[in-house]
Amino acid sequence: MIQLKNVNKSFSTVKALDDVSLEINGGEFFGLLGPNGAGKSTTMSILIGYLAADSGNIFINGEEVKTDELNFRKEIGFVPQSIALYDELSAEENLKIFGSLYGLPKPELEEAMNSYLNAVGLYDRRKEEVRNYSGGMKRRLNLITALLHKPKVLLCDEPTVGVDPQSRNAIFDFLEKLNADGLTIVYTTHYMEEAERLCNRVAIIDSGKIIALGTPDELLQMLPTSEHIYITKNDATVSNVNVFKSYGEIIDNNDRYELRLNKESKLSSFFGALENANVNVQNVTIQKPTLEELFLNLTGKRLRD
Amino acid sequence: MKTILQLVKKDYKLFLKDKVALSLTFIIPMVLIALFGAVFGGAGDFEKLSLGFVNQSSSKVAKTIETTLDTTKTFRLIKSYKNEKGETVLYDSNTIKTAVMSGKFSAAIVLPEDAFTDTSSSLKMKFYYDPKNDMESQVIQGVLQQTIMQSIPEVFTQSMQKKSESFLGKDTGKMFNSEMNKTISKYFKVDTSEIYGNMNKGTTKKSTDTTKSKKGGFNMFDNMLNLEKYQLVGKQVTNPMATRSVGGWAMMFLLFSLAGASRSLFEEKQSGVMIRLLSSPVTRTQILWSKYLYNMSIGIIQLVVLFFGGMLLFKIDVLSNFANLFLLIIASSIACTAFGMFLASFTKTSAQANGLGTLLILTMSAVGGSWFPVSMMPETIQFFSKFTITYWSIEGFQAVLWRGSGFVEILPYLGTLLGIGIIVNVISYINFKRGNIFQN
Repeated sequence: MIQLKNVNKSFSTVKALDDVSLEINGGEFFGLLGPNGAGKSTTMSILIGYLAADSGNIFINGEEVKTDELNFRKEIGFVPQSIALYDELSAEENLKIFGSLYGLPKPELEEAMNSYLNAVGLYDRRKEEVRNYSGGMKRRLNLITALLHKPKVLLCDEPTVGVDPQSRNAIFDFLEKLNADGLTIVYTTHYMEEAERLCNRVAIIDSGKIIALGTPDELLQMLPTSEHIYITKNDATVSNVNVFKSYGEIIDNNDRYELRLNKESKLSSFFGALENANVNVQNVTIQKPTLEELFLNLTGKRLRD
Repeated sequence: MKTILQLVKKDYKLFLKDKVALSLTFIIPMVLIALFGAVFGGAGDFEKLSLGFVNQSSSKVAKTIETTLDTTKTFRLIKSYKNEKGETVLYDSNTIKTAVMSGKFSAAIVLPEDAFTDTSSSLKMKFYYDPKNDMESQVIQGVLQQTIMQSIPEVFTQSMQKKSESFLGKDTGKMFNSEMNKTISKYFKVDTSEIYGNMNKGTTKKSTDTTKSKKGGFNMFDNMLNLEKYQLVGKQVTNPMATRSVGGWAMMFLLFSLAGASRSLFEEKQSGVMIRLLSSPVTRTQILWSKYLYNMSIGIIQLVVLFFGGMLLFKIDVLSNFANLFLLIIASSIACTAFGMFLASFTKTSAQANGLGTLLILTMSAVGGSWFPVSMMPETIQFFSKFTITYWSIEGFQAVLWRGSGFVEILPYLGTLLGIGIIVNVISYINFKRGNIFQN
């Protein structure tokens, strides 16, 4: 569905994209995860034909993406990072303006507008000026503006920046439904929770390079450890700490131990060993590894650095 | 106090980092002061105002007047023109009137065959003028009368002595002149040598103004100058002052509003709307054309409203030549919109467009004649004024509203404005292609 082949892009001396190659299949919910300045928005700008790549090729649905090419644009919907709406106009007026650029017949446009306004809970306030909307409402309107022409691919560039958790969840639910209905979604974010929740496949990008690519599970397999087990310290756990060491890396965190379980170790065998050693465990927390850890492991820095 | 100084230091630091603010604060005012000084500096000199001149008289007096006017610093006498074959032809009393009526120059003097004959008691002159510019017209008339009156007493004194000698015979005439001097000396208690001096200082005129009645004063030279004034253009204009100035002010406001409208490109880029537009099936060229057409139509509406406002408030006659006025409005809007797009294509931010726009608009308004007649500016400035949109629009509006010019007569203005519009648009388009308005 979407192909990027050896794409390079520089801004004066800064290399924004360094030989990026990606293939995104139809129906996927694909995540592009990376910190600020990693090259996510540049990738999006090139995908929509806003920026020209210095070298390399980009195809969407078989059509080559170029800044002066229009055909592929009918196949895509783009949700910009900023709220790209006319504040002084109503939601309805905004939708009409942007929808009309795709040459939709009036009845079709009206139907799409009403349907999407209903879907994101804005129908009753469709005649209000956008300037009076809350941040979450603006974000929802920003999102559905990209959907009126029923694109085959939805490109979302950090569409939940500055949104409260409730609105964010509503947007996630809406996007998941769209994806379930067959829409291919490419989603950039620097929140690993978003990528983990939404995406079937994730590419991790840093300094313009794709440093990891796969499903979230596949990516987590790249980590040398699996689950993290937090055990509160007491006499028994302190005296049997050697039992823990054989199952992974132990970190002493003042009032508790953190055991980073070896990939080959199983949780059941670890707890079995504790039982055999008569270690009375009072408080245990088990945490799955995250993409944040993977990023830290791969780059030595945090996603939000 | 230390905190206040720290905050002041912070503001200086920010200010010095903002190159646009720096240039707005120092460079632009300096440029404008230099420019306005050059424009208005010419006001005291009135160098070389164009004055049409025809001398049909063979008298010595007429020749003296011609020589005096020719050597004055104020006037550039225009006595000939090039005909269709490229031949230099002297103006006559008819062609010079046509030249004034068509706006080639705003005043002309004709010394007719009988300007001054042996039997004349006064100098006869015809003064044709077009007060399209009130200030220029008054200056021309004032300087003209002063120049003539300064030179004619001597001529007249000699002429009177010759007359008496020819009428009474040489010896008797000399005696008469001598006796006249003595009589004046006796009764007016002055030296005979002073009489000629006083005569030379005297000024008078007898003016036959075709537009208004005139009561001449009495002194020694009363009736010596018979100046017939003919206002050739604008007699029908109900409100000359407003009619003359409406075009200049309208153009300045149009430039300001169109320069402002062009900034919407930056605002759309800033808000992210531009990237959304370009992700839809819309080309950069289409966006530019849409902005161009929008701004141009706004410009047309604004000018029409301003002229109709002038009609309602100042009784400016807009309707009698409206078709030609409307063509000029369209051409002016096309050129001014191109200017706005040019600004947007050459600057990187809305603030830069604002600063550069203000500089260029004030410059064009000053040099192009929005505030002050171009004909009274120094020659260098007059040369540069022809490179401004304002100049061609104002001249065109004056042609239509003041002279009632028809389509053929306003073609040079229309052509120039459209030409400026096309050239500036092409430059802007090329710049937009390479510029950063469509880039990150």
